[in-house]
Amino acid sequence: MQKDATLDAKGLMCPMPIVQLAKKVKEMKSGQVLELLADDVGAKEDVPAWCSRTGNQLVGTETEGTLLKFYIRTK
Amino acid sequence: MCMVVSEGTFDKAMMPLIMGQTAAAMGTEVHVFYTFFGTKLVTKKANPKLPGMMRLFTGMFRNRMHKVGIPGYQEFVKQCQEMGVNFYACTTTMGLMGVKNEDLLPGVKILGAAAFLKLASESQTTLFIG
Repeated sequence: MQKDATLDAKGLMCPMPIVQLAKKVKEMKSGQVLELLADDVGAKEDVPAWCSRTGNQLVGTETEGTLLKFYIRTK
Repeated sequence: MCMVVSEGTFDKAMMPLIMGQTAAAMGTEVHVFYTFFGTKLVTKKANPKLPGMMRLFTGMFRNRMHKVGIPGYQEFVKQCQEMGVNFYACTTTMGLMGVKNEDLLPGVKILGAAAFLKLASESQTTLFIG
């Protein structure tokens, strides 16, 4: 998937991936796509919840073993 | 979102920060009201320990949390404030717990129960941690 930036949150656990995600998205321009890498199993539910609450769009997810990849289009 | 914290142990101290920081990251307004033993948590000297015999393992817990990106207590409070989380100390229990205005961390406001209840009545979520 095409992306404008990557945020590596591997090794971080709830709530840190979400906190870092919120900070990163704030720095980006509207309509850009952020790739978020995480290996906290909680992120599987937390990232979609954060997106629906904040109005940012989750455009894709991928799983590679324990690694989760989320693609978020900023609002 | 509003939270009431009435205990001063490490576990009760970290919970509202984790919840508060997450809620702030989700764009929610957050108010945390500290009362009774919780009042000590918003002072400059705050360094909470686990309850009872578990207090001996506080350092181990702190190290484990640090490894997964969760900062130390005082730093965590500062990060929450930077993200817009509001902290309040209860006026009455400040006297009871021997906490003076100048002991409070910068940015912590002093609030009475009625003012907090007004905030809570306007909030969609209220959690009690104690």
